[in-house]
Amino acid sequence: MRARLTTLSMVGPALVLFVVMLVVPVCLSLYLSLTDWDGYSANPAFVGLKNYVSLTHSAEAIRAGWVTLLIAAVGTVLLSVFGLGFALLVNGASRLNAFFRIVLFYPHVLSALVVGFLWSAVLGTSGVVNGWLTSKGAEVLPFLSDPTWALASLIAVLVWAGFGVNVVLYLAGLQTVSKDLLEAARIDGASKRQTFFNVTLPALAPVVTVNLVLSLVTLLKTYDLVVSLTGGGPAGSTQTAAYLILWDSFHNNALGFGSAQSVVLMVITAGLALTVARLRARADRGVQA
Amino acid sequence: MARSIRRSPGRNPRRTPGLLTAVVILAAAAGCGGGFSDDKGAAGDSTGEVRMLVNITPNLTKSYWEGLVKPFEDANPGVDVKIEAPTGSGVKDTLPQLLAAGNAPDVVETLMADKVLAPQMLDLTDQAWTKDTPLVEQASLDGKVYTVGVGQQAQSLVFYNKDAFAKAGISAPPKDLDELTAAMGKLKAAGYLPLQTAGDYVTGLQLLQLSNPSIATKYPDWYQQISSKQAKVGETMQPLLERYESWIKNGYVDKNALGLKDVGAQTNFLSGKAGMYIMGSWFVRTADDAKPTFDLGVFAAPTEKGQPSPGPQGVTMAAPYMVLKSTKQRDLSVKLVQWLVTDKTAVQSQLAQDGNFRKGYTDKLSPLGKQVQDILDQAPKHVAQGEGYGANTLPQGFNGEWNKAVQSLYTGKSAKDVATRIDSWMGSKS
Amino acid sequence: MSALRMPRVASVQFKPFKAKGWGRITFLVVTSVLMLVPMYLLITSAFKSQQDILQHPFSLAPDQLTTEYLRKAATNPDFNILKGYAVTILFVVSVNVLSVALAGPVSYVIARRSERRYRMLLLLFVAGTFIPSQVLVIPVVYTLKFLGLMGTIPGFVLFETTLTLPFSIFLYAGYILTIPASLDEAAAVDGAGKHRVFWSIVFPLMKPAVVTMVILNTFSVWNDFVNPQIILGPGSGLYTVTTGVYAAVSQYSTDYTVVFPTLLLAVAPLLVVFVLLQRHVISGLTAGATKG
Repeated sequence: MRARLTTLSMVGPALVLFVVMLVVPVCLSLYLSLTDWDGYSANPAFVGLKNYVSLTHSAEAIRAGWVTLLIAAVGTVLLSVFGLGFALLVNGASRLNAFFRIVLFYPHVLSALVVGFLWSAVLGTSGVVNGWLTSKGAEVLPFLSDPTWALASLIAVLVWAGFGVNVVLYLAGLQTVSKDLLEAARIDGASKRQTFFNVTLPALAPVVTVNLVLSLVTLLKTYDLVVSLTGGGPAGSTQTAAYLILWDSFHNNALGFGSAQSVVLMVITAGLALTVARLRARADRGVQA
Repeated sequence: MARSIRRSPGRNPRRTPGLLTAVVILAAAAGCGGGFSDDKGAAGDSTGEVRMLVNITPNLTKSYWEGLVKPFEDANPGVDVKIEAPTGSGVKDTLPQLLAAGNAPDVVETLMADKVLAPQMLDLTDQAWTKDTPLVEQASLDGKVYTVGVGQQAQSLVFYNKDAFAKAGISAPPKDLDELTAAMGKLKAAGYLPLQTAGDYVTGLQLLQLSNPSIATKYPDWYQQISSKQAKVGETMQPLLERYESWIKNGYVDKNALGLKDVGAQTNFLSGKAGMYIMGSWFVRTADDAKPTFDLGVFAAPTEKGQPSPGPQGVTMAAPYMVLKSTKQRDLSVKLVQWLVTDKTAVQSQLAQDGNFRKGYTDKLSPLGKQVQDILDQAPKHVAQGEGYGANTLPQGFNGEWNKAVQSLYTGKSAKDVATRIDSWMGSKS
Repeated sequence: MSALRMPRVASVQFKPFKAKGWGRITFLVVTSVLMLVPMYLLITSAFKSQQDILQHPFSLAPDQLTTEYLRKAATNPDFNILKGYAVTILFVVSVNVLSVALAGPVSYVIARRSERRYRMLLLLFVAGTFIPSQVLVIPVVYTLKFLGLMGTIPGFVLFETTLTLPFSIFLYAGYILTIPASLDEAAAVDGAGKHRVFWSIVFPLMKPAVVTMVILNTFSVWNDFVNPQIILGPGSGLYTVTTGVYAAVSQYSTDYTVVFPTLLLAVAPLLVVFVLLQRHVISGLTAGATKG
C-alpha cells in the first residue's frame, strides 16, 4: 500500500495538471463543437454534428486544410533534407564549423512572430528587397502579393527559421554512428556514397523518425508566422488551419464551428504523426532485417 | 534519439483508468461550471476604477487615450479610468476572450451593438443625453440604444492629387464611374499609378466605400432586400466587381498592391506617386500631418452613369461606445461615456485626432476637413456600409470575407467568381 | 545505437565530404550570408530613416545613421523592454523548475514499471504533443477561470508547464531506460525511498536530457505568443517580450522606424546570450537526445 501511495505521489501531480489543463479543454472543445456558440450567448444551442457537416461544405476550410498539409509535407521534407545535408557539411570540431552551426541555428532563438515581421519588412511590396529593386529600375517581385509566391515565401521562411534545429539533431545523430563500422567500410573500399547509404543512413534511422514526426507536428500547428508574415493573405490564400480556426472563432463569431475545426485538426495531426512513426518503424525493421 | 519504449503487456490495467475517469469527470465539471454565466452588474460607487477597452491605431495611441480621459479623472477625484489595449488582433477578438475570462471591461469602444452583442450591453435608451448624439437612432437596435458615438466618419471619399489631375488634363473631378475610369486612363498615360490600393483590410473596404453611393441609389433599401433574400450581395455588387477587374487588367491599380499594408499605401499616395486614394475621413488627419508637396483634394465617390450626383454618402459612427451589462461600476461608466460623447473639449479632441465630423464642431476644421464636411452636408442621404449597424446589418464577419473575396480579383478570379463566393458565404450564414 | 554511451568526443569523427574542401567552405559561406542578411538588415535598419531603409537598405553610410529611433523605441511607454525581459525570465525559470519537478518522477515510474497501464500513461502524455494549444484558447480560459487562475502568473506558468510535459516525459522516460536499473535497486536495498532514489541516484544521471529539455522549453516559453497574449490578457498589465513586441509593432507594421528598432531591442539580449553560450546550447540540445 505504501508503495502504491509513493507511485501515486510521483505520477499524480503531473497527471492531474495534464488532465486539468489539456484533457479538460479538449473535452470542452469537443462539446463546443456540437453547439452553435457565438462566443457571447449564455446558453448555446446543441446542434449535433451540424458544424462538422458544414465543415465538409466549406471551400475555405478545405482550402486551409490543404494549405496546412502542403506546408507540413513540403516543410517536413525540406527541413530534414537541409538538416541532414548541412549536418554532414558542418560535422566536426573546427572553429569554422562551430561558427557555421551558430549561423544556421540562430533564427530559432527568435520567435516566429519576430521572424515574420522581419521578413515581411524584407519581402513586402514596399519592403527592403523591392525598394532596392525599384531603385535599380527593376520590376517588383510579388513575394507576398501573389498566392503561389506568398505560400512559397511562407514555407521558405519556415524552413529558414527552423532547419538549424534539424541540423543540430542530425549532428547529434551522426555522433552515434559506429566508428568501427565506418572504419570497416573504408577498409572494404566502399565509396563515400556507399558508406553513406549503407552505414550512416541506417544508423540515423531513429533520428530521422523523430525529426520527421517533430517537424510534421510543429508545421501542422503553423500560426504565428502566418499572422506576422502574410496575415493569411493575399485573398486568404495562406490561411492555415490554425489561423482559420481563430479567424472563424473570433471574427465570424462562430466558436462552435471553430471548435469543430480544432477537433478535426487534432485528429488529423495525431493520425499523420502516428502514421509517419509507424511507417518509419517498419522501414527501420526492414533495414535491420 | 529516444527509442520507443516497448514493454510487455501488464496484468492489472484497472486502477489507473478508474482514477483517470474520476479526474476527468471532476475537472470537466469544473471547466463547464465556470462558463456561460450571465452577470447582472451593479450601480457601483462614485469612485473607483473604470476599465475601458479601446481601439489602438497610429492616430489613436494608448497615450492619446490616457490624455483624453485625464480631465474626466481630474473632475472626478478618486476615479481612475484604465485604458486597455486589445491583446488579440483587435477589440473584436479581445472582447469575447475577456468575457470568457470573467474579466470584462466596463466600457468598450469601437464595436457596435448587433444581435450577438446587444444582450451583453447596457440599455441606454432612457438616458436623455443620448438623444443628441450623432447617428444614435440609426445605430439603435429594435428601438433600443446601446451604442453612442462622438461623431460621423464619411466613408465614400476619393482623395486625389490635384497636380496629377492637372498634368493628366482632367479638368473636374469625375461625377460618375465611367468618368472615373476615363480619368484613370489619363492618369496612367501621364505616368501616375491611377488608384492606390493595398492588401490587408484595405482592398475590400475601398470597394465598399466606393460602392455606397451607386448601390444606395439603385437599391434604396439594400440591407432589407439582402436580409429578405430579394437581392444578393454578389449579384448587386457584380457591376462594380467587373469594373475593378478591368482596372486590374488595365494596370489602373498596382497588381502587387496586396503586398502593401494601409500605411504603405498611404505613404505611396502622399509621396505623389498615385493619382487617387479611396479612404474614409480619418485619412484627413494623416494627410494633414504629412503635408504633401502636391495639392490634395477630395471628392465624393461617384455614382453610376445616369444616377444623380452626388449620391448617398456612406457614413459610420465615429468612436462608438458601449457600457457592458456586467459592469460593477454602472453609474460611473455611464457618466464616463456621457462625458466622452457630450463634453465639448473631449468631443473636439476626438474629432480632430481621428478625422471625424459632427454638427456644431466645424470651426476648427482644416481646409481638407472643410471639403469633407461639405461632402457630408451635400449628400442627399447617409447610408450604412458593410456589416452596418442598427436595422441595416449583414452577418458578423462579412467585412472580412468580402475583403478576401475582393482580393481574389488580384489573384486571377473573375468578378463572377467573387460574386458567387460572397453569396455562398452569405448563404452559409443564414 | 541504443544503450551505447556516447563518448564525449571533441575530435573530428566523421567527415564524408571533407575532401570537397574549398567547395564545401564556399557553399557554407554563401549559405551563411543568406542566413545573416535579415539580421544585418535588422541591425542596420534600426539606425536609419524610413526613406534610407527603403532606398539604400544595404548601405552603411555614416551620415545616414542615427540613434534617434532606437532611443524612441527604448522609451516607448507602452512597451517597457526591461519589464518584458523581467517577466519573461520569471516565466522561463518557473516553468523549467516546475516542469522538471513534475515530469521527472512520472517518467521514472513509467520507465521502471512494466505494466500495461504505464505504457498507456506514456501514450496519453505523448498524445499531448498533437494538441495545437492556440486553438484551445477559449476552453483553457474557462478552465483557468474556474480555478481562479485566469490572468494570473501561476495560471500562466501552470498552463505553460503542462505544454512542456508531453515531450519532457517522452524524452526523460526514454533516457531513464538507458540507466541500469541495478543502480537504483542497490540504493533501494539500502533503504532509500523511491523519491530519494530518483532524486539522488537517477536524476543526476539524466542531466543531459534535462539540459536538453530546459533549452527547448526556454525557447518555447520565451517565444510563445498566443498563450501569454490571451491568458495574461490586457487586464493583468503583464507582457512578455514577444507579446510586448506585437503590441508595439503590429499597428505600425510599415513604419520601419518603429519596427526595426523595437525588434532589435527585443532580440538583441537573447541573441547575445545565445552567442556567448552557443557551445553549451548546441551541445546541450543534443546531449540528451543522442541516447535512448
